[in-house]
Amino acid sequence: MRQAGAYSGILSRKTGPHSLPLARIKKIMKKSSDDVKMISGEAPIIFSKACELFIEELTKKAWIIMTKNNNLYEKKRRSTLHKEDVASAIIATDVFDFLVTLVTHDDNKVVIGHIKK
Amino acid sequence: MADGHGSSRSPASPNGGGSHESGGDQSPRSNVREQDRFLPIANISRIMKKALPANGKIAKDAKETVQECVSEFISFITSEASDKCQREKRKTINGDDLLWAMATLGFEDYIEPLKVYLARYREGDSKGTAKAADGSSKRDGMQPGPNSQLAHQGSFSQGMNYVNSQGQHMMVPMQGTD
Repeated sequence: MRQAGAYSGILSRKTGPHSLPLARIKKIMKKSSDDVKMISGEAPIIFSKACELFIEELTKKAWIIMTKNNNLYEKKRRSTLHKEDVASAIIATDVFDFLVTLVTHDDNKVVIGHIKK
Repeated sequence: MADGHGSSRSPASPNGGGSHESGGDQSPRSNVREQDRFLPIANISRIMKKALPANGKIAKDAKETVQECVSEFISFITSEASDKCQREKRKTINGDDLLWAMATLGFEDYIEPLKVYLARYREGDSKGTAKAADGSSKRDGMQPGPNSQLAHQGSFSQGMNYVNSQGQHMMVPMQGTD
């Protein structure tokens, strides 16, 4: 459901090899601060790969935590990754500190409950 | 509390799944907001699956959490890079600023793969344009193309072709005499 924007013609040719849409990345970059005025063409391309690395790292860490919890607490082994696993991975990893408020904010109790269990 | 996983996600929570569930095709208004804030969940899901073993499944709430985290990641890095630009009185955030911000904020492991990716991208990009230029000049020689690109470059590349073909014609007898 992409809308044809001012850049769609230019960017569509370049979205090919990237697994995440560059125009969307640019939008999120611009929203991050009022000081962000101009962004070089390379910046969203770097982010498309960086986000991929970030998603992979977060997912792998969440999976490892889930398997550990499986061994320790669960009677029936789970093979489905849940929000709580992602939250636990964030809490357990220093570089993900900036995400802690995001995952403990809405349902704090679920996260803590899961870790203590 | 400490009961199930995921099932306890409150439907009443303002930032919860509600907005995501309505992010389908039927509700264009929430769709626009989603487009501004998040990367597409299908792309995120695909990348997550790649990171898991074949038997691994991912609940919707996990995908949504990662989706939010990715946007936060982009903002986090961008803000740091933007601060650096301000300190150095530059207006444009470039690739090096982002790499610097990632290294500063603890993501130094990403730098090497990103450099490789960028180098490969640049290489591919220049190859791509070279191919395109080749193609258009060949087409120029063969037929007066109705292509819109030719309107800009037609006379130039036709001229080039002309010179090239002349050059080749001149080369042949010279090689022969040698």
